[in-house]
Amino acid sequence: MNDRSAAESVDGFVAGSAGSPPIIGIAGAGVTGQAVGRVLRHLGVRTAWFDTQPGAAVRASRRHGGVVLDRSDDLHVVDAVVVTSPVPQYDQVGALVDGGVHVVCTSDDDADVALMLALQRRAEDAGSRTVVGAALSPGLSGLLARHLVTQLHTVDEIHVAMHGTGGPACARQHHDALAGRARGWHDGEWIERPGGSGRELCWFPDPIGPADCYRAASADPAILHRAFPQAGRVSARVSATRRDRLTARLPMLAPPHAEGDRGAVRVEVRGALADGARETFVVGAVGRTGDLAGTVAALYAAACAEWRVPVGVHVPGEHPDLDRRVLDGVVLAGVQLHEFTGVARAVV
Amino acid sequence: MTAPTPAAGVAASLPGVKLLRRALLALSLASLIAGSLRLRGKGGVPPQEGGWRELRLPTR
Repeated sequence: MNDRSAAESVDGFVAGSAGSPPIIGIAGAGVTGQAVGRVLRHLGVRTAWFDTQPGAAVRASRRHGGVVLDRSDDLHVVDAVVVTSPVPQYDQVGALVDGGVHVVCTSDDDADVALMLALQRRAEDAGSRTVVGAALSPGLSGLLARHLVTQLHTVDEIHVAMHGTGGPACARQHHDALAGRARGWHDGEWIERPGGSGRELCWFPDPIGPADCYRAASADPAILHRAFPQAGRVSARVSATRRDRLTARLPMLAPPHAEGDRGAVRVEVRGALADGARETFVVGAVGRTGDLAGTVAALYAAACAEWRVPVGVHVPGEHPDLDRRVLDGVVLAGVQLHEFTGVARAVV
Repeated sequence: MTAPTPAAGVAASLPGVKLLRRALLALSLASLIAGSLRLRGKGGVPPQEGGWRELRLPTR
């Protein structure tokens, strides 16, 4: 698919159809930021790069087009900003929201996301359209959960598992998450469990396959609970090796992979159909972790720039029509989605 | 109760015996850590039938 046809086939994400193309700022020129830039370029959206390491922004602009911003204050003049810098992102996002800039943030840190979700009043006052947790998990997980929830009459449980990390900052966050406190929504109340506990063998789409997954300090339960308050149980797990768990409370012993690696997300939704029959649906996506996260963030940024996102703070999975539009864009961007066709029980 | 003989004390202080005791201690600690890692968590029920197929979104 060439660039133009890709842009034209994603209804609603065609830049320049009603005037000059918007300019979207990308704060953070790492693995995820560059994936954002790549998708936006395919959509025909102009980009402006900012990174605390100017050389990274220059390299990204040479590779994916766009201009380089010298100061973070320059981000206040663009149509929307995708924040892909390392966590915490709250200070940067808060300043942009106060300036009335539309913001998409990719943080998966629970405390960071909680602060950003509390920006609702400030976003409404400033007229900012803000999407929190638009990456992989949270992010694509919410879109997939919405796709499954629409097939059910009642929703009881949503369980998410993720494999892989994006860039080095994402890998450090994954490392820290295994040593943190994992929150989960359980029968009407928040529960906390130690990160690295609750082992569960989760099957991801090929070529990832099975991987042991554990509770971790992820923002996904908070995001999913906000989007699906009717679900009685919400949990999130990340894959980890025994070495990951053993060394989680120590500094990272080995440097993270500079370019990230292949990753996957898996969403399981349990509920009932209209006739009362119990159902469990499982869908997943596989690809380079940074690409998956960057695609979701880029599409939400385009939606913000086109005012398809309401004023205020929102999360993936919260608005069915918008989520479906973004999910269509994700597929057209080349992300492979898969559904599990079996039954989660052992063969006797 | 009888006091250890001088010969037993000499045997315990031999370099080979000390090395053996340290190796046994290290093995015991390693087993303890590995056992605790393996035993923590109940594990899930892996799906053993079925498989993945490409998801085609229904038309809007």
